[in-house]
Amino acid sequence: MLKILKLVFSNLLFSILSLIIFSSMMTVLLFISEFIFFEPFFVTHIPSGSELGFSLIVILSILSALVIPMNLFRITHLKNSKQKIGGSIFGSIVGSVAGACSCGPIGFAVISTFGSIGATATAFLTNYEIPIRIIAIVILVITYFTTIKSLKTECQVNF
Amino acid sequence: MKKKGLILGIIIISIIVGVAASVSSSNVESYDIDMTRTHGSISTAMGSPILGDPDAPVTIVEFGDYQCHQCHNWFLDTKPMIMRDYIETGKVNLVFVDFAFLGRDSPKAAEATYCADDQNKYWEYHDSLYTAQESKIDNGWANSERLKAFAFNLNLDMDLFNECLDSGKYSKRVQYNSQEARDNGVRGTPGFFIIGPDFKQYPIGGAQPFSVFQRVLDTMI
Repeated sequence: MLKILKLVFSNLLFSILSLIIFSSMMTVLLFISEFIFFEPFFVTHIPSGSELGFSLIVILSILSALVIPMNLFRITHLKNSKQKIGGSIFGSIVGSVAGACSCGPIGFAVISTFGSIGATATAFLTNYEIPIRIIAIVILVITYFTTIKSLKTECQVNF
Repeated sequence: MKKKGLILGIIIISIIVGVAASVSSSNVESYDIDMTRTHGSISTAMGSPILGDPDAPVTIVEFGDYQCHQCHNWFLDTKPMIMRDYIETGKVNLVFVDFAFLGRDSPKAAEATYCADDQNKYWEYHDSLYTAQESKIDNGWANSERLKAFAFNLNLDMDLFNECLDSGKYSKRVQYNSQEARDNGVRGTPGFFIIGPDFKQYPIGGAQPFSVFQRVLDTMI
């Protein structure tokens, strides 16, 4: 497993891509979930009882930063199928959307635009934020291991 | 002929007086509020009673929804320290204005606080809602039955409270407050405006920690 990770991330382009995915996803999700604020001052804040939500965001960002570059590596270097990148992007999006709506500006915009349907969708995403994020993490973990497995097989054939 | 005209006149006047009396007693709701109360650009006339010293130099206007979990976080994590250091010392006061947009139970919960206010227990009821808040929106924790149960726990006169809540006495008041939030550019809850002695207002969005409020308030006092 380490060999595969070394193979992918020894390429500077994929390391930078991974770093960009991790930092941008972390920042956006922490901001949306009100763990960090930029105005009126930059401040970080984890309210009591929100530790699990914070941990899930960190795990989600790390997994996305691993799985998406690995699948891009498969596509660009091994000219392989795009099937698994679909899974990784789907997992990342599902995990990001959960909890993004609630009572913040995104939730307000969704409810203002879509009315009662928006309110129902927002309520669902807020009520099941933690289970949705866990499902997203499971999808990313499965994608991670299947990608490792297929990279092992494909690299043995190709190199 | 003159007599007939007089009788007809009396009948018409009686009907007009009767209709006017019935309309005034059935449709007009009256509540004891100061319609001129404003803080900065915000009309807080329909908002909560003022928490703290009404003559305090600084006012925090909080826009919130009783089903919003970030409002709940702010209520538990930040508000107690603001109460201790600023409100109880007379430096700051606070007004809560409803921005009830999250779910179908949100406006009813906001209305219930004003029904409690009729019995001078606005803040006790407000606190009991945020204390009892459950993480799921519209799962029934703030439905009419539960709102009545919260009132019962505060020893409110249940006949008065039930009549107030069931009649929707304060529905327009809550709508007015939510519109006031939109008019002032509030795009989520909790949203705050801190209004200083010079009437300059300082917006703070979200359930920010005490340190942020402290930095802003200390520059104004």
